[in-house]
Parts: sequence; C-alpha cells; structure tokens
Amino acid sequence: MDTSSAVIDSLHPLETKVLTTFGASRPGTVLDSEQLAVVAELEPSQLSMAVEWLLAKALITIQSETVTPVVSLTKIGEEYYRGASPIERVLDAAREAAGTGKRLTIPDLQSQDGLDPSDVSKAVGRLKKEGVLLIVQGGCIETTGRPSPTVEALRTLLKQMHESSRALKDFSEDDRRVIEDYAVKRGNAKEPFRVDERVTRAFILSPSGASSAEQLLKQGVAEEVSQLTPEMLKDGSWRHKRFRKYTISLRAPRVGTGKKHPYREFLDTVKTKLVSMGFQEMRGSLVETEFWNMDALFMPQFHPARDIHDVYFVKRPTHASAMDESVLSHVAQVHQHGAGTGSTGWGYSFDAQRAKRLVLRSQGTAVSARTLAAAPSIPGKYFSIARCFRYDQVDATHATDFFQVEGIVLGEDINFRTLLGLLNLFAREVAQAKEVKFLPAYFPFTEPSVELHVRHPRLGWMELGGAGLFRPEVTLPLGVTVPVIAWGLGLDRMAMVALGIHDIRELFTDNLELIRATRGLF
Amino acid sequence: MPTITVYKNDFQSLLHQSPSANRTVSIEELEAWLMLTKGELKGYNPETGELRIELQDSNRPDLWCCEGIARQIRIKQQGKLSPYPFFSEQSQSQAQIIVKPGIEQVRPYVAACAARGYRVTTEGLAQLIQTQEKLAEIFGHKRKTVSIGIYQLPKITFPVTYELVKPDEARFTPLGMETVMTLSEILMVHPKGLEYGAILAGTGRLPILRDAANQPLSFPPIINSREIGEVQVGDDQLFVEVTGTDLPMVVLTLNIFASNLADRGATIEPIEVQYPRSTSLGKRVTTPLDLGKSKTIQIQKVEQALGQELGAQTVARALETYGYDVSAGKGSVKAKLPPYRQDLMHMMDVVEDVAMSLGYAEFTPVMPAQFTVGGLSDIEHTSDRARELMVGLGFQEIISNILGSPDSYSGRMRLEGTEWGGMVEVDNVMSLSFSCLRQWILPSLLRVEAASSRAFYPHRLFEAGDVVIPDASHELGSRTETVLGAVIVHASAHFSEIHSCVDVLFYYLGKEYSLETVQHPSFLEGRAGRIIVAGQPVGIIGELHPEVLDRWQIAMPVVAFDLNLSQLLS
Repeated sequence: MDTSSAVIDSLHPLETKVLTTFGASRPGTVLDSEQLAVVAELEPSQLSMAVEWLLAKALITIQSETVTPVVSLTKIGEEYYRGASPIERVLDAAREAAGTGKRLTIPDLQSQDGLDPSDVSKAVGRLKKEGVLLIVQGGCIETTGRPSPTVEALRTLLKQMHESSRALKDFSEDDRRVIEDYAVKRGNAKEPFRVDERVTRAFILSPSGASSAEQLLKQGVAEEVSQLTPEMLKDGSWRHKRFRKYTISLRAPRVGTGKKHPYREFLDTVKTKLVSMGFQEMRGSLVETEFWNMDALFMPQFHPARDIHDVYFVKRPTHASAMDESVLSHVAQVHQHGAGTGSTGWGYSFDAQRAKRLVLRSQGTAVSARTLAAAPSIPGKYFSIARCFRYDQVDATHATDFFQVEGIVLGEDINFRTLLGLLNLFAREVAQAKEVKFLPAYFPFTEPSVELHVRHPRLGWMELGGAGLFRPEVTLPLGVTVPVIAWGLGLDRMAMVALGIHDIRELFTDNLELIRATRGLF
Repeated sequence: MPTITVYKNDFQSLLHQSPSANRTVSIEELEAWLMLTKGELKGYNPETGELRIELQDSNRPDLWCCEGIARQIRIKQQGKLSPYPFFSEQSQSQAQIIVKPGIEQVRPYVAACAARGYRVTTEGLAQLIQTQEKLAEIFGHKRKTVSIGIYQLPKITFPVTYELVKPDEARFTPLGMETVMTLSEILMVHPKGLEYGAILAGTGRLPILRDAANQPLSFPPIINSREIGEVQVGDDQLFVEVTGTDLPMVVLTLNIFASNLADRGATIEPIEVQYPRSTSLGKRVTTPLDLGKSKTIQIQKVEQALGQELGAQTVARALETYGYDVSAGKGSVKAKLPPYRQDLMHMMDVVEDVAMSLGYAEFTPVMPAQFTVGGLSDIEHTSDRARELMVGLGFQEIISNILGSPDSYSGRMRLEGTEWGGMVEVDNVMSLSFSCLRQWILPSLLRVEAASSRAFYPHRLFEAGDVVIPDASHELGSRTETVLGAVIVHASAHFSEIHSCVDVLFYYLGKEYSLETVQHPSFLEGRAGRIIVAGQPVGIIGELHPEVLDRWQIAMPVVAFDLNLSQLLS
C-alpha cells in the first residue's frame, strides 16, 4: 500500500467530501469556506472540522485570508423584520390619521404600544427630512403622500438579511448609508443591523492533497459507514458501502471477565496430573477425631505434635458420639504393645476417650488413614487436596488453613525403590524437574522416610515433598497387609512463585483487582 | 523438632576425638554427613563459628546435641562404635541415691552418674545447658516426664536422698536468686516455679534431692540449688541426675548425658539408686544402664522392604557402621541398638537405618508398575462442572479461609440465634478472627466485596468450597459439605439477574428446581427463596438485606445464591 492510499484509508467522510469538491474543480482552484460549504453541502461546523483535519494532514493549505465587513440582523432587527420598524409604524400611523381625518401629534405617537419616544423622534425627523411628513400648526403631523426611500430600503434590507448575512460591499451606496445609520454603534445598541469583520480563508490543494483527491475521484466514492447492520446484510447494501477503517492501535476498553482463581487453577493442574498418573481422589471431613487425625497414624498420645499448641479443638461437641470400636481397640493395642504387628508398641496406656476428641483436621494423612480402613483397591493409588488447619501464629509463611496435597500408593510391588521411583515421577510431572535428591527424613508414621528435593527449572533446588512407607503399626490394624507409600507434596512455594506473591496469606486475598490481574504461569 | 547451636571447632574436635588432630570440616562435607542424622544445616556464622542445625527425628534425642551428631558421623568414619565401658563394667564402690517411699506418687524415678576428668570449657558448658534444655523441653514434655540437673560433684556428700517434703520444710538459694527460699516460695516467686509449677499441682508434699549433709541439691523438676547446682567453666568433677515419671526415658536421658561426657574425655562412674520397692528394672538400679535387647532381623524382609538384594554381610556392615552391635547369621542378623538409643520398635526402624547407613543414593529408583485407574470423586466432578458454568456466566472465582470469625459468618449476616447461625467453633481460640468454621459461602464472598469497592464494576464472584454444618445426628457432630456461592454486585443488581444464573446452572447440571419464598434474616423480605430440589431445600437465593450490607460496609446492592452441591448430589 503506497502512502497516498494509506492517507485515503484514514480519511473521515467529511474530509473525503472536501477533497472531492476540490478534485471536481480545475487544478489549482482556490475555494473559500463559503464556497466549500455550498458545494460540498456541509454545515459550517462540519466544514470547519474537516478543514482543520485536512490542514493538520497538510492535504490543503491556506491560499489567502480576507477580512470582510459583514452585515447581519440583531435581535432588534429580527423583531423589526417580523413586525415593522419604528419609522414604518410612524408613517403608517400618519397615513391612517390622514385617511380618517384624525389629529395626530408626536405625544400621540409616543404613547403608542411598543414605540420608544426616541425612536419616534428619530423617525419623524428622518421622514420630515425626506419630505414625507409635515409638522403643521398645533404640532399635528400630516403626510405629503410622497413615498419614503428609507422605509422602502429598510423593509428590503431586513428581509434580505433575515435570509442571510451579507458582505457590506455587496450593497448599493444608498443601502450602505441606511445600514450605517441603522447599525449598532458604541452608545447605541438598539439598532437592527450589526456590522462585523469576518475573516474568510481560501484554500488550495497541496501537492499530496491533489494526488489524494485525484485518486479519490478515480476509485469513486462509495458511501462510507461505520457500523455493519443486520439490514445491510439482509438487503445486500453492504456491497456498495465502504466501512470506515479504525485506528486499531488504541487501548481496548475494559471488560468484566469470568475466570478461575489462579491458585485454584494451579491446584487444578496438579489434580489433573495426579488423575492422569492413575490416582483416585479421596475426600474427608474437616472436623475429625484425634483417632483418625493421629492415633491411627501411630502418633502416640504423648507425642509433642499433639500438644494443645498444634491443633484446634472443637468446642461443641467435644467428642465423637460413636466410633468403630473394633478398629479403635486394635489401634489402641498396637500403641500399647504392638499387638501382632511385629512392633513393641509405645508402651503406654492408651486413652480411648482422647481418641474420640474432635479436632480440626491438621494433616491430609487423616484422609489417607480413613481410606486405608475402608477396603481400598490393591493395587491402588489415591490422592487428596485437603484443607488442613494448624494452631499457629499467622504470618507470611504460616496460614491458619491451607491445602495439603497428599496420598497413598498400595501394592505388592511397593518398596523403598518404588517409593523413590514414584517421587521421581512427581518431580518430573509436577515440577518439571530432571534432577532430584533424596534425603533421609522423619515422619511419625513412615519408615523409611524420604524428603524429595528437586532442581526446579526456575526456582533452583527446593524441597518438593516428603514420603515414606507406612509403618506396619499403621496399616495392619486398619486391615491392609500390603506395603503402602504415604506421600505429600509441598506446593505452596511453587504456587506462590507461579502467582508472583511473597506472602502465603495472599493465596486467599480479598483484593479483587489483584485476583483479576493475576495470571498463573504454570 | 529442635534446632540447636553447635560451635564448629567444638564439633570438629568431637568428630576426631582429639583436639590436636583438629582437621577442618568444610560446610559441604558437613551437610553431606548430616544426612546420617536427618539433620539440616540452617545457618553458619563464619565469624563466631556457630552452626544452626535442625534435627528432624523426634525419636532420636541422642542426636539433639553436638556430641551426638559428631558420634553418629564418627562411627561411620571409624567403621564401628567403640563401646562405652561404663555400660558393661560393674563398679565396686558405688555412690548411692536412696529413694524414700511416697515419691512414687509424684515423680517416681531417678537416675544419676558422676563424671570426672573432663574440664568444662565455654563451648562444652553451652552444649551441656542446651542439651539439658532441649531434652527436658521436647523429649521430656516440658520437664513433665524428664528433667535434668548437673552439679559440682565435690560439694556433694553421698548418699543422696530423693524424697517428698512439706513445702516449707526445705529451703535453699535457687539458681538465679540471691536469697534462701522455701519450696512454696520458689513455686510462687521464682520464674521457673511459675513456669513449671503446674507439673506439681495438687501434690501436698514436694520432691527434693538432698545429700547426706542435708544440703538440698535440687527441687525437681523446678530448679537446682545455686550452691551446688551451678556448674562453671573449669569444673572437672560433675554429678548428673535425671528425674521423671517414665523409667526407660529417665535411664535413656542419663545414658545420653553419660555418653556425651565420655565423648568429651570424662570417666563415668555409675551410681546406684535404691528404691523402696521393686521397679520394672528391679529394686536397685545402677545407672548408666543399657536397656537395649538384640533383635533378630530377617535379611529377606529387609531386602523386600528396600527392594534390593543386599545379603547378610552388607546389612550387618551397614548396621555396624551406624552404631549397632551386630552379629551376622545365615539369612539373618542379630542387631542391638547402642545404649543411647531406644527407638527400635519395629524391624522397619532397622530397615531405615540400613538405608541411611548405605546412603539413599545407593538405591536406584524403580517405577511402580501396577496399573491403576485415576479419577475424581463425584462431588469434585460436580463441583468442577459448576465452576466451569460459573466462569461461563462471567463470574470470577474466589478462594477463602474456612476458619473465620462468628461475626463474619453469623453476626454481620443477622443470623445470631437463628436456625442458620449454628457453626462449629474452636475451643482453644488463638484469635477471634480464626475461631469458627464457615457454615455457608456468602460471607467469604462479602469479605472480598467489602475490600474491593474500588475495583471495576460489575462484580460477579463465586466460590465452590467446603463448609461445615453442625449436625447432632452425625457421629462427628457436623457434616463437611461442598457449597457453591455466588454474588452479583453493581448499582442495579436485581433478583432476576441472579435467578437467571441459577436457572442456567440447574439446566446444565440436569436438575429440576423450584423456588419457595422464605424469610431469611440475611435477605430482603419477599426477595428471598429457598432452592428446592426433589422436595428438599438445597440452597437459598435473594437480594441481600441492606442491614447486612451496612454491617459489611458495602455501599452497593448485592444479589446472591448459596447452593449445597453435596445435597444436590444426594
């Protein structure tokens, strides 16, 4: 696309009209605003917009500027036009008096409605000077029967100028004298005419304007429209229309969006990964017994992590109303002396009442424990994205409630090496990491236990999760005889980096604009 | 679990057990060695030589000190643990502690030893105090099960007596004080008395350790005598006692201290404790005392658990270089823990020690090969479909805390004392802002709205998440259910607008519903309805009551619905 077509494409319909007006005239034609307005059939305001735009684009230039005195009607003049001028009324009154034989004096005229005394004096003076009126004895006014050139001229001028204002030089010398006599002057605003100095600009096409105009004429001007309408499509008229091109580089207006929460979206991708790896989702209760939250996981009732500082206790009711007593007693025996699991047990006296104490679930492993007791599939893989609660001071790295992603894998082929294999898979699938490190770790319910460290493509070395083989003290009393991997992934740091936040509390932020603005890079 | 401070020089001399052969250990080397102890280096100050190490294993209190970490590494370097003579030799002339009747009702057990020949250094003293604190605090449950006292041995005349006295019967100057105080004064005034006094609550008479000259050593588990129980740099004769409520734990704690002091060069002299009647370890118990028993470990089971063929020799060698006392048989090994450990409950504990001793890097990962089918729960599936639809309807998803305040979930919603206002509350409240579980979703969305009046309107928000509904008929006293809540907020928000959304939602979820007028305090009267499915209420829809909006300081009309997806499914 050459420059002149680019110029043409950007033209507003008003600009096109002005350019084509020039184009239709002989080359080098100079047109002033009035001529343009007439030929291009534009309102003065439209014309002045178009002219300013074309000047800014240097498609036309100003050839000359002329200052012309222009005569127009004042408000008073419009009133005179609709009714009659004072001088005409005075003359009419005198003629009427002559016809009826009534006496007419200046005070009589001055008392008539709408006639100003000074107007009356001026009118009488002028008519007398023209020899139209005579003042006879007793101050009576009589007509001579001669016509008044002033009255005639005024009537014509009022009519002409009511139609449009005109340049002073267009009038005859006599008319000009009448206009000057009856024009607004300093100290006398009550006159029908006003003489203003009007600047008239004349324009000529610039060379680029000339070529644009020529091209416009050549391609022919279809009617340009801004909006395609159903009617145009229906009657086919769109075929004869040009659609105005937009400046598409402008900033788009804002629109309200429906969208998932970025953190939830992150968890959704993890969920999808896990399902694709053959994991079945588990759900659990947010209120749980200490039994499922800890006892079933072989955490002794005197374990430091069970002190009041780590878990929220439920106020009402304090204890579960019922429990599977056989599982409860089996687990109790394992805690006490191992009960056939091959373990010595913890060697303390188990408090069955404490096992029923209700708490807010503090670890996702509680969900896994329930699954183990509910005849899981073997082989089987399970996961849950479980909301958990910790009795902790809230700060940038500790939230009162948070998601734990964890689960279990059951099977005859489960052992320490398949545990490492599973963690390798998580490293690759969840963190896109190729390098891993396995470190010894401690969890109360697994042995051996592993910490999984990975080299994340963006974050470098980080701890991705922990895992281990469930202790037989956990699995056997729940009726599971095959080895079981328990695993958990610590994804909050990954999520926070993906979402560009530094404070864990922002994962649950109440700042709507922040939620709307955040896009996850997963 | 505990984080401890260790001085690098001190650690190096313990590692090589010779101050002269003090080879520098690099930080990288140290981090690699720490894997043997489940320890993680948290910080290092090269100027002071201070290392901060976090120890993970709550069943290995022997590792919560510089001596224990160095020992575990040293054993690996030297190939085996050099046995501590004091666990096997019977000393002839023993000092004694006499336990008097009555103490069994309060704090029944005591164990003690003497240590001579180690001159206490600044770093050594810091470690003694730190180990004393960590063991009593974490392993001893804030001194309840175990507490420890260390004294200047020359000031004590044996035998020492452990007995109960009336609160005003004994008096001494406690550590940290200038004046003589009775036991009841210590409980009322001394910071340690105030901190730990609750352990002795309800006991009329209080425990005391006194020597043959009737000098008080200590008021366990509260405070030692300043006179005898203030060890200083330069002391080279020490007396260590441990009191508590669990005899094996008391003995183990003393064993750890004895081993630690022996590692620093002290000669340990056992002490005999005479109980008035027999304990699980007899009437006379001489400590330190090795309580470990040999356990026969089937190699095949170890191999099965680790997924790798190792053979008896390799397993035996791995355990020996981890501190076990081992004898290899055919297809099995007999293994006994060193006396400073008591954490062998199951064969699997040994399995982990084998793996750690060999190094986790020695095991090649293998993918679990068995086929399983993945999938979502029904409720998650329904919740995901509903979320997709809400996004399609132009709603922004929100996630919120479930733990919140009664004011948000009930008070500001005008639900206090109504059938809708019941919530599961927390007993041990830390902050009122986190003291109950939400019973519906709308307050979570209003929380966002209240904070976002400057955000571009309209606001269309939703959350699909768990709520907890009190239910006396349920064995847990409540039900966890998944609820979808949504609000539309703008200057001309109208009932029909949110009604249309519910309509679309039900259409695509394939459920029939109807609305039934309800008077609900959170909504404008005549503009609220129960959502009924199959004759059962599953949710609520309406225009929020201006009083509710006022309480949330929301200056925009809000229309909303709250739909229980769990009930919709059932």
